[in-house]
Amino acid sequence: MSERRLMLLHYVTGIGILITGAVHLWVVFFTVPLDQTIWETTMLFDNHPFAILSVYRNALLASTLWLLLVFTTYHAMNGIRVILMELIPNRSFVSAIKWVLIALGLFLVVYGTRTILIAYNIR
Amino acid sequence: MLFPSRYSLERWSYTLQRITGVVVTLYFVLHVIETGNFVGGPSVWYVPPYDYARAYYEEIREFLHNPVFDVGLVIIGWMVAFHAVNGLRLTLAHFGVTLGRPSRVEPEAPPRSFSPLQRAIFWISIAIAVFAVVYSLNALMGVLAA
Repeated sequence: MSERRLMLLHYVTGIGILITGAVHLWVVFFTVPLDQTIWETTMLFDNHPFAILSVYRNALLASTLWLLLVFTTYHAMNGIRVILMELIPNRSFVSAIKWVLIALGLFLVVYGTRTILIAYNIR
Repeated sequence: MLFPSRYSLERWSYTLQRITGVVVTLYFVLHVIETGNFVGGPSVWYVPPYDYARAYYEEIREFLHNPVFDVGLVIIGWMVAFHAVNGLRLTLAHFGVTLGRPSRVEPEAPPRSFSPLQRAIFWISIAIAVFAVVYSLNALMGVLAA
């Protein structure tokens, strides 16, 4: 893919992270009353409207988390690639680091998807 | 190259965007691994019994619930808020929004990519990041309720 398209995707996933990340932050932080902490509410395992399992069992919220995972993985890996490319502008280094970042990105998506799918099904 | 003190405010924005991006990426990798504990850890690739997953998570929660991790998360909150709003500024600039009308570039003129509106959004990103620090301090440690 051309550099122009990679960067366009970088900006598009950035906007995607703003939307799905806002939902994630709303669930974890902004549903918590000001006189309580997340440890007493949203970081509980269960038995709270926005406890961890409650969020994962909600198909819409779980899907939002998965989109956030995919958007952030691409955005982060491409961001690191751009930074390294600027710091060390060497063609073979850039090519090597590209495959390392693709491997790390695949690991993150597979492992994160596993967590989301399993947590959705815990009863 | 990254050290911004000899350059304009835009270079500070450039450097901060990269530093926060790298740190938030490190946090993101750890966060994906850490949230794997909700279902019983990295070795679980099937749906575990509810009680097993709960007991495993409670142990991890006990470990994470301490002031050191809370302060770490507050710093991440600052970085995420700055990176998000400053990133929005960069996205607008990339598509030519907020840059004003094209005109002749004068010698010694400030960079066209950092128009007054762009500059304002940079300072808004700093302000929102400060708000994120206060809000997350309360959400994590209850500093306002104390």
